[in-house]
Amino acid sequence: MDRRTAFKKLTASLLIGAGAISTSCSTLASDDAKEKAQIDWEEQFKGNYKLMSDEEKQDTINRLMRSYELRTGKTISMTAENPAEDVLFGYAFNISKCQGYMDCVSACVKENNQDRNSEMQYIRIHEMKDGEGFKFDKADDNYYHEVPVEGHFYMGTQCFHCDNPPCVEVCPVQATWKEDDGLVVVDYDWCVGCRYCMAACPYDGRRFNWSKPEVPESEVNKNQHYLGNRMRKKGVMEKCTFCVQRSRKGKNPACVEACPTGARIFGNLLDPNSTIRWVLENKKVFRLKEDLGTDPKFWYFMD
Amino acid sequence: MRNRNITYCLLALVIMVFSSCKKEEKYHSITDKINAESKPYHGKLTSEELLEGTNLIKITEGEHTFLIPERKGQLKSYACIECHTQPVTQMYSESGQKAHWDIKLNHANGDAMNCTTCHNGNDMNNLKSLTGTRIDFNSSYKVCAQCHANQFEDWKGGAHGKKVAGWAPPRASMTCVNCHNPHSPGFESRWPAQFNSHIELERKQDLDH
Repeated sequence: MDRRTAFKKLTASLLIGAGAISTSCSTLASDDAKEKAQIDWEEQFKGNYKLMSDEEKQDTINRLMRSYELRTGKTISMTAENPAEDVLFGYAFNISKCQGYMDCVSACVKENNQDRNSEMQYIRIHEMKDGEGFKFDKADDNYYHEVPVEGHFYMGTQCFHCDNPPCVEVCPVQATWKEDDGLVVVDYDWCVGCRYCMAACPYDGRRFNWSKPEVPESEVNKNQHYLGNRMRKKGVMEKCTFCVQRSRKGKNPACVEACPTGARIFGNLLDPNSTIRWVLENKKVFRLKEDLGTDPKFWYFMD
Repeated sequence: MRNRNITYCLLALVIMVFSSCKKEEKYHSITDKINAESKPYHGKLTSEELLEGTNLIKITEGEHTFLIPERKGQLKSYACIECHTQPVTQMYSESGQKAHWDIKLNHANGDAMNCTTCHNGNDMNNLKSLTGTRIDFNSSYKVCAQCHANQFEDWKGGAHGKKVAGWAPPRASMTCVNCHNPHSPGFESRWPAQFNSHIELERKQDLDH
């Protein structure tokens, strides 16, 4: 039962609502079915993640883990780490080093449980000609030939986690917001799929699920975060979270780890001893569409 | 009557303008935020757990102090003198190459370097600088830094190369030979790891934007 249907039924008839309650108490249903109905009911009426206390967050991920176990018979490990203090995540990309291998795209798909049917990808690697600047309309982000090609360079784009994110501004239900450590995240249970954020994002960082996302059971990443790579549902937005299930444990995002040439640098912008601060202070850096005032925390530089 | 209507319109406009004022952020831009809240990180998150089991060496280069992986233990053929019982020039010229059938020098042309540019023919368990100074295998980056000075500066600062573990302190960076084969350091060209058939289908149907 999805949210909108539930509200329609409740407004149409109290009996329907009573019927849903009675399902949890039914003496005819099996224990598993009753537990599942109870979980669905509680999940349906929980609040926005932003307003939850730590206990409520723990309760909801316990329900989600139990729900997954009831459905598939397998267990997952889900967390809801809060932003760490004195941390602000930032990203730097070395255009000279990128060779277009796309190892980062593969690692991202695997780490973040992205839908295999629609072949969703958060990261795009654009192949551009030398000497012509950044022409994204002419760039090819789905090439299939040996790389790197003579006379070309490669540039990766993904969600830039703006400090002034336009996607947050336009959301009518506040399902997406900017956390204290700079990550822009989505509460998949709160999202109504209106796709305003997709239209508002100037960097094509948002993805929409037209169908129910499916990942083969053997490929599911079971190390999940509520705001990150837990399985999404049909009709909700999703996006890069800088691998929140990794970065909030002190690890690098999967794309940084997978890059064979070290073109990607991730770190804490507030720590003057971090390597990303050295990049920002010693390299000539730029960001895409700076004139829009979105303030992305994703910088590009060259050797 | 007309003046009163104009007054009402102006009043509504003023109310609208003031009520729609956006809540002001504390900082005007991300750079201001970074400068204002900057301080060395001593929080809970750390890479120490991730680095357990890895043999690391602490080095200091300029104002940067960080960890790099130990090298000798990773070399299959160390110690070198077990085979190199004679100077390398002698072993090489005498009836051709005997050891390291897989090593081909593809680093620079023959006028610029050969085996003895980095290896000390009389002390095979150590490397050597261009002036003959002994360099330990664990500090092999010093050999590379003699010519690749720009990359070395970037590597010291953190703009070149990869991390051993995560973003959290302590910093542990891979050294040159962890990514580059010193005898053939360039990256080979190869096919991309990913091809999106959905995008290709959309292009064929002229649906891509």
